[in-house]
Amino acid sequence: MSSADDVDAAGYDDLLVGFGHALRAVGLPVGSDDVLAFCAGVSTLDVGDIMDVYWCGRATLVRRRDNIPLYNQVFRHYFLDIEPATADIRKKTLKASSTAGATLEIPNTEEGLPGQVSPDEIKLGYLASTSEVYRHKAFADCSDDEIRQLRRMMSRLRVTPPKRRTHRSTKARRSSTLDMRRMAREMMRTLGEPRDLSFRKRKEKLRPLVLILDVSGSMADYSRNLLQFAYSARRANTKVDVFCFGTRLTRITRSLDRRDPDEAMRMAGEAVMDWDGGTRIGDSLRDFTRQARRARLGRGAIVVICSDGLDRGEPAALAESMEALSRIAHRVIWVNPHKGDAVEYVPTSLGMIVADPFIDEVHSGHNLASLERLADRLAKVG
Amino acid sequence: MTDVASLTVDQLTDQLRAEDYIADRGLATALLLALKLGKPLLLEGEVGVGKTELARTLATMLGRDLIRLQCYEGIDMYHALYEWDYARQMLHVRALAQSEGGAADDDLFSPRFLLERPLLQAVRAGDQCVLLIDEVDRADDEFEAFLLELLGDFQVTIPEVGTVKAASRPIVILTSNRTRELHDALKRRCLYTWIGFPEPDRELNIVRARLPGIGEALAAQVVTAVNRLRDMDLEKPPGVAESIDWAQSLDTLGSSELSEAAALDTLGAVIKDRDDLDYATKSIQDVVG
Repeated sequence: MSSADDVDAAGYDDLLVGFGHALRAVGLPVGSDDVLAFCAGVSTLDVGDIMDVYWCGRATLVRRRDNIPLYNQVFRHYFLDIEPATADIRKKTLKASSTAGATLEIPNTEEGLPGQVSPDEIKLGYLASTSEVYRHKAFADCSDDEIRQLRRMMSRLRVTPPKRRTHRSTKARRSSTLDMRRMAREMMRTLGEPRDLSFRKRKEKLRPLVLILDVSGSMADYSRNLLQFAYSARRANTKVDVFCFGTRLTRITRSLDRRDPDEAMRMAGEAVMDWDGGTRIGDSLRDFTRQARRARLGRGAIVVICSDGLDRGEPAALAESMEALSRIAHRVIWVNPHKGDAVEYVPTSLGMIVADPFIDEVHSGHNLASLERLADRLAKVG
Repeated sequence: MTDVASLTVDQLTDQLRAEDYIADRGLATALLLALKLGKPLLLEGEVGVGKTELARTLATMLGRDLIRLQCYEGIDMYHALYEWDYARQMLHVRALAQSEGGAADDDLFSPRFLLERPLLQAVRAGDQCVLLIDEVDRADDEFEAFLLELLGDFQVTIPEVGTVKAASRPIVILTSNRTRELHDALKRRCLYTWIGFPEPDRELNIVRARLPGIGEALAAQVVTAVNRLRDMDLEKPPGVAESIDWAQSLDTLGSSELSEAAALDTLGAVIKDRDDLDYATKSIQDVVG
């Protein structure tokens, strides 16, 4: 399409509408009203000027900065007949990692790995009297019986769901805000004599909680423990959503209603793992942000990701999806058992380094005490 | 006042330039469309690239009032739309009580006791104003929903007074620093423009336009140095506003060119983050070049 001078108005509209369809075809959310605005926009500008058409489309058909490269590509192809370059244009060069190949060699030890508990501690006798010991014992070192005992303790874990202030206010017995409106009305009744003070405060609403659990190999046990959170939070009426991932992402919120946690985890494991595929955190999180945008999940939520950060996918994909996630969620909390009891956590795996700038808090979740701390924090981050 | 109907992109760019605002073609086109189609314009971009300034310039250019609503976490209707002047109401009640019988309800909640906040002001002013809703990403989700309703039909209902409807639509500019994603519904109402950092040439023009007395060499050096800083992977990359501040600081101190010493003295004008400052101080040679 080199010149629009000899095209009549009707043919021109067809062309513009066709462009809208071309954008839709590559997955950009372009509505009919957007196309209408685009046509209306172009008709107020110089119809023969390709630059006007370009910028008009940018203003009316694109609503996210991330979509601009894709728009450019379609524009070039549609109006200028330039074939898209073969490389994935959405790939960003990543500053944090010099070589993506480093991900292929997965380090199997990190500092602060839980598990160095003295044998004496393990020998300590009766379960009922040793809950304090178990509280600090890494899950990885517990026998099956001990795990069962811990699970029982965990089921009593209180999750105070995070809250947020809403737009509306309500009568309060005491707060820092006077209810002037009410007081003015009261004074009318008493002919200008002030009586009691009335107060208002902001109403509070529960924040939704989203758990994204890594159920691949070594992480499955830790993720299983976090599921207990989902149950506890649900008892407190919070909106809880649970996703599991390995190579793929799947939502298991529904199955939480019916089955017990172990069953739910097993089902999730089957749904999301190609056993030789390795963990693809970046791709899974991107799936999540896509679903989240569409289904309005996770907006303003506390998102808890449980993973060791050993990612087999592209680091760029992880960085991109973490950035998107951090903008949708209210807080992003990462539970990484490799943190162990270390107070200052220094990310060592590439995945964690890449994700680190977008994480608000890192918890270890490798023993009960740490999970209790997490439960405590959840109530406060709202 | 400018006649919007016959305006072209080039004319608009020139008019903005006359007000010392240098817009690129994308921004000028989006703005022109916003004017012609009567849609709100959503500007997203890095900090300090002139999002707020555009609204201010536009208001001056069109000879309209700028009504600004600064958003923040927890902003509510009473700060954005209207509030009753309770102090005056109470005084009024007392005065009435002393003079004669009871106070009438409809008198107390009449327009003269109404405090107009920016959004109501804008609805009343209609096309006599430019409404700037600044940093909308800092407000809560619910406030966005409320904005959505308002931007739809520019009409406000105050239970005691009635419905106020804009006789004509004001020009609305929303800005966001993209600290969180806005609702798609709100975005759909708006024309969207991303303002990035300008190319060095254009930035130099901006600095010269904003600081007419600035030395040519100094302006060029500052712009080059700021561009180097932006490449340095800082926490908070400096915006155009910082370039202007820096050039102005140097000029005020009497520097005619950017030396290492002068740069170190004035680095606070361009970098506002402690860690970044340390980093830039260490690599000042690379910055000044």
